[in-house]
Amino acid sequence: MSSPLILLPGDEVPTDYLPSNGSAPLRLGPGLRLLSQAHPTPASTSKHVLTATQAGILSTDNKRNAVSILSSSNRRYIPTPNDLVIAQVHHSSVDYFYCMITPQSPHAVLGQLSFEGATKKTRPMLRGGDLVYARVLSTGLGAGAEVELACVNLATGKSEPGGLGPLNGGMVFDISTGMAARLIRASSASAEQQQVAGLVVLDELGKKLEKAGGFEIAVGRNGKVWVDCSNSEDHAVRTTVAIGRCLTTIDEHNLNPTDQRKLVTRVLREMKIES
Amino acid sequence: MGGPTASLHPLSRADGSASYRCPATGSNVLGSVNAPIELPGRRDALKPEDATIEVFVKPGTAPGGVGERHIEGILRDALSRIILGREKGYPRRGVVITLAIVGGDSIGRGASYLPILPALLHTSILALLSASVPLSMSISATILAVDSSGKIIREPSSADAAATASLHVLAFTSKGHLLLNESEGAFNFDTWERVYERALTICHGTSALGSDGDVAMTETVDSQPLEGLVRDTVEDRIHVEYAWKIDAA
Repeated sequence: MSSPLILLPGDEVPTDYLPSNGSAPLRLGPGLRLLSQAHPTPASTSKHVLTATQAGILSTDNKRNAVSILSSSNRRYIPTPNDLVIAQVHHSSVDYFYCMITPQSPHAVLGQLSFEGATKKTRPMLRGGDLVYARVLSTGLGAGAEVELACVNLATGKSEPGGLGPLNGGMVFDISTGMAARLIRASSASAEQQQVAGLVVLDELGKKLEKAGGFEIAVGRNGKVWVDCSNSEDHAVRTTVAIGRCLTTIDEHNLNPTDQRKLVTRVLREMKIES
Repeated sequence: MGGPTASLHPLSRADGSASYRCPATGSNVLGSVNAPIELPGRRDALKPEDATIEVFVKPGTAPGGVGERHIEGILRDALSRIILGREKGYPRRGVVITLAIVGGDSIGRGASYLPILPALLHTSILALLSASVPLSMSISATILAVDSSGKIIREPSSADAAATASLHVLAFTSKGHLLLNESEGAFNFDTWERVYERALTICHGTSALGSDGDVAMTETVDSQPLEGLVRDTVEDRIHVEYAWKIDAA
């Protein structure tokens, strides 16, 4: 793999950057489109070219034989099925909770019974302002369609992946959507893949706060991160704020792993949390 | 006098934003793009398969008037050629571009809007790029004035622009196609041809088109080509945002 390639709209993707896995068809991710070549050159066998439609880094995945463009990380969240989001309940009706995913978009609906083990008699009583960790079930077609959320896998009746449902206690911090995607990758991937996402902050915080009772974290693709430290008793509030401060500062200043470690140490010392 | 400068994402709440300053013409524009957004009402009735593009131009000190509506129309026509409004998530939704003229000489009622048109175009293309709106290609634009002796002045100041025989704004796509041409004043075809050649050089460096359709970008007497300014601004921003990925690779 050569150096990262930055493309602007209209730029053609050089063929030597494409994954060379011949067995599976090439998958095009967001930001790319297939055009027929305007001036076919005798050298190239293919009649088509891939051109970028967004500005960003070309990202290839050899395993899935996929190629896509990673564009600006600070964009607004647009719901996509199967994304995990942190939504805030706005109001409820007989059948649905109406939730906010992003403040400017129309409300998303969350069924009153789309929780693990929920029946008409035992269902979570959520009020306006409560938080839920939910999966985007469908986004509908076309403009003005409703986004539907669920906290349960409808096929199995379990909350899959674990942790979906109401979020009690804790606090939510706003981060950029790009940072949220990185946090999800860093927390779900194995150790060497964490290097890829360039985030060591969660590991570092986990090590330092182990004695203080640890913490819980939920990352929503919509640029929200929920942090709870209810185990750390009298330090709970301070620890929560410290973790949130670490995450938002790293997001704001694009810190590298060394600076992330330094920041964690500094913030914990400033907040007088012994580690 | 330095060349134009630009920055991406000065505004945190807009989906994409850019500011652009051109010291030569004295224009300073702040632009934001929100897309895709839900449009109120049935404004999509005419083209249900395409995105609706709206452009708003706000003068810094005066209420908007006929001149702004006219320039909004020009911008909308030019930008709708390169915005891919049929990509996923865009049909029947809106792409709203707001451009605020925050500095420079205010344009009087009924006065020509051409001197600021390149800055408006650059601001909108940079804001669209920062909002990750799908585009078929990027653009660059310039303004040239021709005085009575036939001399071409690049990016004239407002005083120069008032004294010249004709004004020409030309915008080129990143493939080197002429996308927009607005001219005013008296001129002939020969003058226009010379203006076109010069503008192409300003936007794309030497106008040598390679055999594969790529435009060779080299430094010329006109300093950095404007196409390079758009590209550098975007690449710098992406380098900062993806430093973690680039360092790891």
